Amino acid sequence: MTDHIQDDLEAYALGALDGTDAKRVADHLASCEECQREAAALANVVGALPDAAPLRQPPPSLRARVLAAVSAESARPKLATKTWPAGRVRPWPIALAGLAAVAIVLGAADVDAQRRLSAARAERDSAQTTLDALRQGGRWWYMAGKDAFAGSGGTLVDPRAEGFAPFVIFHDLRQLPPGKVLTVWLVSPDLTWARAATFRPNGRDLQTVTINMEVAGFDRCAVTVEDSAWGARNGVVVMESRIAAPAPPPPQ
Amino acid sequence: MCGVRTVNEVPDQQPSDDALLVSLAARDLGALASLYDRYGRLAYSLAYRILGESETAEDVVQDAFLSAWRGAPGYRRDRGNPRAWLLSIVHHRAVDILRRKTTFRPAPLEVAESQPGDEDTAASAERNVENASVREALERLPQAQRQTIELAYFGGYTHVELSELMGVPLGTVKGRMRIGLQKIRRALERTR
Repeated sequence: MTDHIQDDLEAYALGALDGTDAKRVADHLASCEECQREAAALANVVGALPDAAPLRQPPPSLRARVLAAVSAESARPKLATKTWPAGRVRPWPIALAGLAAVAIVLGAADVDAQRRLSAARAERDSAQTTLDALRQGGRWWYMAGKDAFAGSGGTLVDPRAEGFAPFVIFHDLRQLPPGKVLTVWLVSPDLTWARAATFRPNGRDLQTVTINMEVAGFDRCAVTVEDSAWGARNGVVVMESRIAAPAPPPPQ
Repeated sequence: MCGVRTVNEVPDQQPSDDALLVSLAARDLGALASLYDRYGRLAYSLAYRILGESETAEDVVQDAFLSAWRGAPGYRRDRGNPRAWLLSIVHHRAVDILRRKTTFRPAPLEVAESQPGDEDTAASAERNVENASVREALERLPQAQRQTIELAYFGGYTHVELSELMGVPLGTVKGRMRIGLQKIRRALERTR
């Protein structure tokens, strides 16, 4: 172990080195197992220090913001790179035929790649729009999944910003049997249930569903599994929010 | 490696932090949601403690979880446990922002504690039990060691800045950090 580096491991763990010193320690750690062990032990001690800070509750919207940001990141287009094996030299007629075949294959691959690229861009743009809406703040309800949907959930967002419709960000939705749909309901204080959206899970970790009605006047929301996209509520409730706090008065 | 007890120990039926990191590296968004549910509040509290304002603290937490998502495939357990790794990302982001500001440096911990958090009574009682060992370990340190660690970690001061601020040689600052962290480490190990 280098004594000089050992002198700085505590400051390194506390984040109390400037950039040059921190890089010097990091470079040393990359090749010294003994110092790595000591640095890891110190990192775990320092990792306990946040417990000494007064605990504060983050706004409920922050969870959705984090998930939307990562969703936007993971939806960035990534095109697979194809490698082509080198072939033996052929007589020119065969080579021309081969080139024509390659051109056709590359053309088809290009069309497929473009289609995937467009889909990925659309998903990224959708996630970015969601993120933009989340940044503006608004009202929120979190619906926790239960029974067969335990571990799933959804956050209904009524954005404050002009031009953004209410929406729900669902996570970890379960697949449904054929013929079944999920329905989002808005529930008023007098227990009237209004059908707000109907959809099927798309198989992704996150799914955004737009609500095409005003959320004002409702204080709770829920999701049921239904046989039909129309009509009154018949299915079992698989997610439900708590009753929301009254809306804050508009800014003066 | 030091086996420090952490306050958010996971019930048996829940995936461990290590399992969540493996899932995160496999691009599982559900694992990220679980990690947020486990540490989001602590991450936000840390960022708020360092920066003193909610909006920037929210940005730091969002950025830190995004960074964790990107960095999970390169995470190495032998460099620290997942919780320490995640909170170190939050800490670095918050301190980076703090150091760019010149108008605000947070006060030591006792001042911060006089400005209570916003937890409800039941959660507060539970929380006080959970983090008592860390607080007690800090409180039992001699004042100079405690201030050095608090100003470095929560105040974002480098050890050179602390040497000037406290009017002591750099070697003294390093010594206070070393002995103070050794005492906290031993205190936490005793509470396991």
